[in-house]
Amino acid sequence: MKSDEITYALKNLMHRRLRSFLSVVSILIGITAIFALISFGLGIQNYVTELGEEAGTDKLYIQAKGIGVPGTDENFFFTRSDIEFVDKIKGVRKIVGMYVSTPEIKFDGEIEYRFLAGWNADMHEFINELFGGIGIDKGRHFKDGELDAVVLGYNYQFEDKIFKRKVRLGDKISIDGKEFEVVGFYEEVGNAQDDSNIYISDDAFEIMYPKKKDKFGYAMLQADAGVEPGGLAEKIEDKLRKRRGQEEGKEDFFVQTFEDALEIFGNIFTIINGVLVLIALVSLVVAAVNIMNTMYTAVIERTKEIGVMKSIGAKNTDILTVFMIESGFLGTVGGIVGIIFGYIISKIGEYAAAAGGYSFLKPVFPWYLTAGCILFAFVVGAGSGFLPALQASKLKPVDALRYE
Amino acid sequence: MNIEHFRLSVDNLKDRKLRSWLTMLGIFIGIAAVISLIGLGEGLRSAIVGQFGFLGTDVLSIQASGYDLAGPPGQGAPNPLSDDLAEKIESVRGIEAAFNRYIESGTMEFNDRLQIGFAGSIPEGENRKIFEEMLNLNVQKGRMLKDGENSRIVLGSDFTGDEIFGKPIKVGNRVIINDLKFEVVGILEKKGSFLFDSIILINEGALIEKFRDGDGSEVNIIAVKVENENEIKLVAESIEKLLRKERDVDKGEEDFEVSTPQQALDSLNSVLFGIQLFVTIIAVISLLVGGIGIMNTMYTSVVERTKEIGIMKSIGAKNSTIFSLFFIESGLLGMVGGTIGIIIGVTVAYGSAALGRIALGSELIQAEISLTLIIGALIFSFVIGTFFGVLPAIQASKLQPVESLRSVQ
Repeated sequence: MKSDEITYALKNLMHRRLRSFLSVVSILIGITAIFALISFGLGIQNYVTELGEEAGTDKLYIQAKGIGVPGTDENFFFTRSDIEFVDKIKGVRKIVGMYVSTPEIKFDGEIEYRFLAGWNADMHEFINELFGGIGIDKGRHFKDGELDAVVLGYNYQFEDKIFKRKVRLGDKISIDGKEFEVVGFYEEVGNAQDDSNIYISDDAFEIMYPKKKDKFGYAMLQADAGVEPGGLAEKIEDKLRKRRGQEEGKEDFFVQTFEDALEIFGNIFTIINGVLVLIALVSLVVAAVNIMNTMYTAVIERTKEIGVMKSIGAKNTDILTVFMIESGFLGTVGGIVGIIFGYIISKIGEYAAAAGGYSFLKPVFPWYLTAGCILFAFVVGAGSGFLPALQASKLKPVDALRYE
Repeated sequence: MNIEHFRLSVDNLKDRKLRSWLTMLGIFIGIAAVISLIGLGEGLRSAIVGQFGFLGTDVLSIQASGYDLAGPPGQGAPNPLSDDLAEKIESVRGIEAAFNRYIESGTMEFNDRLQIGFAGSIPEGENRKIFEEMLNLNVQKGRMLKDGENSRIVLGSDFTGDEIFGKPIKVGNRVIINDLKFEVVGILEKKGSFLFDSIILINEGALIEKFRDGDGSEVNIIAVKVENENEIKLVAESIEKLLRKERDVDKGEEDFEVSTPQQALDSLNSVLFGIQLFVTIIAVISLLVGGIGIMNTMYTSVVERTKEIGIMKSIGAKNSTIFSLFFIESGLLGMVGGTIGIIIGVTVAYGSAALGRIALGSELIQAEISLTLIIGALIFSFVIGTFFGVLPAIQASKLQPVESLRSVQ
């Protein structure tokens, strides 16, 4: 490929400025959509991987089955002795049960229904590790035995997110009619549900809901160092099943490693994202057809020119190269501009998601996404120019010269 | 614009066969994508909504407020409905009947398998008939429950398949619910809705006695049948007023919800519609690209035919004539592309829905393509063709005859 072939190809594109421009536009639209969609998809994968890494592979959880949001169905639970039983299984370093409820929360005359968790202060460290180092944003944790202290999710600190007025440290809020003092706020988890949870000590929980005493919806546990967590999960499931007198396949609970749970979550997003990318790909197919069309037209228009070039010694491959460069260039420019637009759209999407409380929807732009999109655009361009270029290269010089 | 113009346009398109085909290919890929996605989306949406659409328009339900999606309806509400409310509500004007419904989640065992689900109560006494009529409950086998039957149940038609427990449940079979034995006395007719077809009905008295230790003071849902469905809004307001007084809460701070099935349906519908819209927007991008293809083709054709336009003008063609010639051409590209696209789209939609049903075994995967959608797509493809053809057509119509005659290709 010589440089004068490139200059020649570029001159031709400039000559048909409007047509080239339209071809570029058609390919850039598709690249924009694909770039933006994939950047979000990769962002979610990143988020999941990071969570997994920070949580470590040694965390598991046990959850009662039931209807609705897991753990909220009052008819399915673990008792304290179940938890103590699991604690004694070899390979379990520690286990903490978690109470859950869905109370009415009142602040400044407003009522909301949110997710309430009650746990032992041991759990603080656990949660911190599980949710990628998420700790207290302001204030402090509740202490064991503290009966009127509540820690709120991140979103309570802002106006109009949960309550009209923002909640401050030291404010009183009422949970199912009982007053609690706000002693701390959690850092942002990144999704609107978790960021609106509230947390109290298990002692306070037991006093408020005596019926639910020793009935846990969830339990989190950590494996001993060196214990394979997947195997441990099976072992716990097996033993707990026998203890509860249930047969295999008839459990009313399940044990899962935190890693597996994350993976499932990540997979679902990847599938949804993949479907959207596929739909966006259709527009690139159409763009390819457009480029092909432009190139066929160019071949017809320049038939005489091709004849002249051939008669003064241009080889078939030279002609092929010139036309391929032209269409490949159209694709590449479309790709580059498309990436710029895609970046802008992703950024707008990121701010929109964060404003809606879903800051975990954060696009990432690794170099290979950018490079891949440009390469892909080039391949689409060059690929769709191939047939027209082949036609051009095979023209007979004499016929071509005669063409009117 | 007359027949002559039309014929000229068609001839021109035929002259550049390859280019016209490629241009239309762009449009019909786009239209096919849009049609098949909307068709599948509509089918899915109406199938899902249909699952909830069995309730009549003359029914209201009342539930204590609580965290959405927590356990069975009404469970875990901080301030549950009390069992004396239904009777009080019944005295509100315009109400035919109001009754308590208890819903209990639990496990059910049959054929050595265990499933988690919920059982609902069926009122006893004179309300039983109203309830059965309200939900249009009929058995396909066996019979409905009678008052005082404490260890008998009626099941929805899904249990007659072998998906749930590996083998069908028949009238007379025994099942274990929350460790207690029950005999199946009837199977309901198939309604085509999972809410209904997977129902487990137990007598109210039995449910309270066996699963709630005889304490029926906390009600999950109060179901209300109104006398005249046109007054349903008014009745809902009177119920709200009564409940505010009974539960001692101010307006705007209600800890309960009175809702019509239509409201629930509307909100579900709007969520599904939002998803569908997003997918359609992404698909429409390809139509846009197809439109740009038309524009490109038309500009090329204006340049190619500059001399021709000059000749036509010099023998008396008006600007508007030239404009309409090119306008018809691009419109035709859009329309013909659209027509082929619709045919492909319809085939793809129904074909993939059929494949999806076989692969996933879910009756929810349906395609539904309305006449409106087809006509809409046809009009849309014509609009795209003409919209992207306007600029080239204007350019053509404004060419100076002398200049154009002089132009060399």
